[in-house]
Amino acid sequence: MSAVTEVLQQVVEGVGSGAVYASLALALVLIHRFTGIVNFAQGELAMISTYVAWQLVASGMSFWLALPVTLVVSFAGGMLVERLVIRPVRNAPELTTVIVTVGLFIFVNALAGLIWSFTVKDFPQPFPDGGMDLAGVRVDWSTLGIIAVVALVMGLLYLLFQHTSVGLVMRAAACNAVSARLSGIRVGRVLMLGWGLAATVGAVSGVLVAPVLFLEPNMMGGVLIYAFAAATLGGFDSPVGAVVGGLLVGVAETLAGAYVDVIGADLKVGVPLVIILAVLLMRPQGLFGRAAVERT
Amino acid sequence: MSEATTGPTEAGASAEPDFLKVSDLHAGYGQARVLQGLDFTVARGEVCAILGPNGAGKTTTLRALCGMVRGRGSVTLNGTELLGRSPEQAARLGVAHVPEGRGTFNDLTVEENLRIGAHVRTGRRRRGRAERAAVAADLERIYGYFPKLRQRSRQAAGSLSGGEQQMLAIGRALMLRPSLLLLDEPSLGLAPLVTRELFEIVRAVNEEERTTVVVVEQNAQLALDVAHRAHVLEAGRLVLSGPADRIREDGQVAEVYLGVSVRAGKGG
Repeated sequence: MSAVTEVLQQVVEGVGSGAVYASLALALVLIHRFTGIVNFAQGELAMISTYVAWQLVASGMSFWLALPVTLVVSFAGGMLVERLVIRPVRNAPELTTVIVTVGLFIFVNALAGLIWSFTVKDFPQPFPDGGMDLAGVRVDWSTLGIIAVVALVMGLLYLLFQHTSVGLVMRAAACNAVSARLSGIRVGRVLMLGWGLAATVGAVSGVLVAPVLFLEPNMMGGVLIYAFAAATLGGFDSPVGAVVGGLLVGVAETLAGAYVDVIGADLKVGVPLVIILAVLLMRPQGLFGRAAVERT
Repeated sequence: MSEATTGPTEAGASAEPDFLKVSDLHAGYGQARVLQGLDFTVARGEVCAILGPNGAGKTTTLRALCGMVRGRGSVTLNGTELLGRSPEQAARLGVAHVPEGRGTFNDLTVEENLRIGAHVRTGRRRRGRAERAAVAADLERIYGYFPKLRQRSRQAAGSLSGGEQQMLAIGRALMLRPSLLLLDEPSLGLAPLVTRELFEIVRAVNEEERTTVVVVEQNAQLALDVAHRAHVLEAGRLVLSGPADRIREDGQVAEVYLGVSVRAGKGG
């Protein structure tokens, strides 16, 4: 295997894991865009969604039926979390909402442990084994599958936001909440929808990553850090940025792990932290973000 | 407080003189009590100007009408109480408020801004072909009033000039097909020529669609040219009310703008 194909091989692996980071980053960005909140519990919500999928499959449902059911449950759950946990602190200072989401993180994590215990569970791999050979680079079906699913989610979100009236209303509410209310938009409902959507997109990331990482309550902790790096890199207000950021972080992580001896497999988790730090120092708004974000 | 003059100059007055009825309206922010009991009525189809110096409570009055600030007393529109409602409920009752500083959706295109204006209507009715046609017809109507918006329909609202943004804000409000249009300082930060154009359009809208308008304005001369009636506010109370023609000829308006209290005993 030549050096070039070897690098390409690493890039393919990186894009595969980057797609998972991208979908969780997308969830973070959706919530930040619609509510101005950085949701530290996003990964845990994805984790508990994944448990729902696991439970459905374990009780005999086929994976491809369990998946849509899980997404619907996640959507409802996300809306419920907004209504019950976030709405009461909507007008509170930022620090309060941050602490509320951290509290939600701990609560959801403990809840999953309580219900399903902390032992690792095998999660079914939805994609077939094997793969294909692309000019010497091996691409697993599972990698292709993950990329396809994330691309599908992106496409659906794009259609929702750009081509439906619900999407238009959501964008308007995110852009100027006061004017939205004056136009008769029930902004509270938009916020609930935003949380529901984010929880759904996050659930996709959990389900995609579970076969690789194995399912346990702390599964998403690491992924969340990569997703934060992705969202910071892409810009916390830009869905496109989240995806591009996710892919870049995934590739950077894999390449650094493979070629930088000091880093190796163990210190790979340092890569997203370095990315976060570098972006905040050099371009705080991220690649696709806007320098000044007004929120009234 | 204000004399209930009815005269032949009240063009636009209709058979419904109490279409908007404000009684003993108090409102404020936290400890600050801005409005100290306002009473006035606006007839259906009338343009009513609220004038007064800075800090008199003009903007607060509009905000109380549309639910942006809490008020005490009573405000009825066509018999329906407006106080105690949220802005989104007020909008659904046909109150369209164009806030100070325009409040356009800057990330959205001009046309998307206008479509948002029709959101309440499309949300309420079936989203059928008839409703889509009605929205399309309304877009045409707005573009008729504001030809500049048609040229820029695909452009982001944030890229428009101040005057165009104000036109867009008014256009969006009209997409609601409001029964009451509230305009807060439409001339703010705009060139005189642009302001004049805007007020001409407000006049045209009022004449063609019989939309009831309450406009708050620093530029009294302009507002009085368009308005049928006017109220002068000072320190949260009405100090002068009457047909716009009479207020214009009344030298005391100038005094009010200089901050001099007119008519001892009236300002309280």
